Amino acid sequence: MQNEEIKQPQLTTAKFFTSSFCLQHSAFVLIAILALAIRLPQLGFRPMHTDESINAFITGKLLAGEKYHYDPQDRHGPVLYLLAKPVAQLCGAKNLSDLTETELRLTPVIIGSATVLLFGAAVEMFGFIPCLIAALLFAFAPLPVYYSRYFIHETFFVAATFGLIIAGWRAVKNNSVFAAAMAGLCAALMLACKETAVIHFFALGVAAVACGPTALKKYFPAPKILLAATLTFLVGGILLFTWFGQNWSALADLLRAIPNFAARAGGQGHEKPFSYYFSILDPQFIFFLVAAAGVYAALCAAIAGTRRTGLLLAIYGFLIFLIYSVIPYKTPWLALNFWLPLALLCGLGVEGVWQQFKSSTGRWIVGLAVAALVLTAGEQTKTLAFDHPADEHNPLAYAHTTDDILGLPVRLEELCRERKIPVPRIAVVAKDAWPLPWYLRKFSNVGYWQPGTETGAANFFITPTDVSGALAEQLKDYRPEFFGVRPNVLLILWTPAETLPAHE
Amino acid sequence: MTKFIFNSLSLVLLATGVAMAQDKIPLETKLPDPLFVGTPVPINIPNLEPKLKKFPTFEVPVGTVNLAKGKKVTASDSDPVVGTLDLVADGDKAGDEGSWVELSQGKQWVQIDLENDANIYAVVVWHYHSQERAYRDVVVQVSDDPKFEKDVTTIYDNSAAGKNQPYVESYFGKLMDAKGVKGRYVRLYSNGNTTNKMNHYIEVEVFGKPAA
Repeated sequence: MQNEEIKQPQLTTAKFFTSSFCLQHSAFVLIAILALAIRLPQLGFRPMHTDESINAFITGKLLAGEKYHYDPQDRHGPVLYLLAKPVAQLCGAKNLSDLTETELRLTPVIIGSATVLLFGAAVEMFGFIPCLIAALLFAFAPLPVYYSRYFIHETFFVAATFGLIIAGWRAVKNNSVFAAAMAGLCAALMLACKETAVIHFFALGVAAVACGPTALKKYFPAPKILLAATLTFLVGGILLFTWFGQNWSALADLLRAIPNFAARAGGQGHEKPFSYYFSILDPQFIFFLVAAAGVYAALCAAIAGTRRTGLLLAIYGFLIFLIYSVIPYKTPWLALNFWLPLALLCGLGVEGVWQQFKSSTGRWIVGLAVAALVLTAGEQTKTLAFDHPADEHNPLAYAHTTDDILGLPVRLEELCRERKIPVPRIAVVAKDAWPLPWYLRKFSNVGYWQPGTETGAANFFITPTDVSGALAEQLKDYRPEFFGVRPNVLLILWTPAETLPAHE
Repeated sequence: MTKFIFNSLSLVLLATGVAMAQDKIPLETKLPDPLFVGTPVPINIPNLEPKLKKFPTFEVPVGTVNLAKGKKVTASDSDPVVGTLDLVADGDKAGDEGSWVELSQGKQWVQIDLENDANIYAVVVWHYHSQERAYRDVVVQVSDDPKFEKDVTTIYDNSAAGKNQPYVESYFGKLMDAKGVKGRYVRLYSNGNTTNKMNHYIEVEVFGKPAA
């Protein structure tokens, strides 16, 4: 009896480690580790985009002990800062001036890599091969790699969206209150990442209904499921937006954000043609072709009644692609929202083709084609995310800060040393000073003024190229030095006319 | 009452004295934080509107011509990253792809051999004008020595050591007064630009007359 008790767990453990479940999930863990390894190098190499520098500034304030206040004027929700703050603290940062690009970008890197694990959790929903292919594409393709190394909200948003899809499906299928609560939490995280979550809620709702009235009737969530999801969504959302009850006005501000985002959707300088996301996602149309096979496979499976989740995904993906494409406001990082359904549909497409080939030769060809697809994506990733991450010809580097700005703080330090100014007073007079607050964070005495306002005396002035009025008169004896901020955007460092030390 | 006034005055004087006796401290004031803005709008201007309204008026002696056109061009970077050195003096100032040469990063020069001594009255240079950018440490020199080791005259210098101001590129180019300096070789330096570390030349014109 004793021997049996001892042997039993050994057999169970052995079975577990050789079971397909364990092997399958090990594959996703391995891909996630590879995704992390790819995302980590040279995190501080690319200059900080304006949006990243604003997010860094807010994170720096939180590190310094200030409370988070939701700003309805295009600042999005608090999830990014909530996750970035402890990571930065673990790295030893106490305020903005302590922060580095690497410390900030580490958070999206971790989340982006962890998203790969979610494909392992979605095997039951979409199948092993589709999830494996999608995980590979998410781990190595340029779009997810590039924006997993970018200190903005998109990577978190996509992870929460995937979490909502998986948890929501499990809640309905298994009648699980826990899964429903997780779905509600994921929905709250989505909204607290970006207010555009409502577009995704709408698309997922329509997709669920369109999957078939019969299925909807069969799987319509029980009241306890709906209640659990709604409660966690409300509680989670309120806690996040009010910064855990410290700022209740955020709830009213959330409503005030609606007209701002409606106006933003109109473009505000970011208008792009309807076809823009095609060129960002897949200029060669290879992935779209494979995904089209996935849509066909999903339709066949839904008609045959074997699996409806592929159809749900296809409808959701099509709807958000359509809505985002119709909205004039477009930026390349929004395309990450489509990469999730596109990668999974590619996986379904590959599985569909795989099943058509019964011979081992045919399946080898499919396997080699997939390997070539992933390698091609990896090669593009190398070019776009590592070799030329801020190049103006890189479609993912949108209105990006140029390398030249890195020389500005170096030049200021050089001038301060030469002129023996220990704490320089720097006056930045510009309508849009970003990302200067990031690059001047080591200087303790920097002020930012809007054009036309009185700045008082300063050791150095920084302005755009169109200086006018009293400031132009004030700077007439100063020497200008140009620094590039973004393509076609220059700033001038004005130094009092003395003999200047030469550029190093 | 008198005692009260006396004591009060004493206290005021004492306080003033203490204050005057203390060292001065710097006035501290909280400077304004930056205002938040949205994602910057990309600016793509095919041909940027120049700051200049027109090409500057500049007088030269009768008979002055562009002596640089078609002449041999050499450079510190003999193997340009993009384009060829002959583009510097081929007469094409369009500024689009194929009309400029890109030299590698850091301080680089191009040199034009006018083949004979000449009196040079003006040099006009177009680095790059399809984007708002400024080139650093632009220096233009004239000499009879192809190695620029002797008899070097600097006609323009906007490096930190020079007297000229940095400028933003435009399709009018940059006109530099050479004041009739005599020489055979014209050398132009630059040290990267505000968009990248590279050096570009669309065209260089050297206006002068063969030396008598």
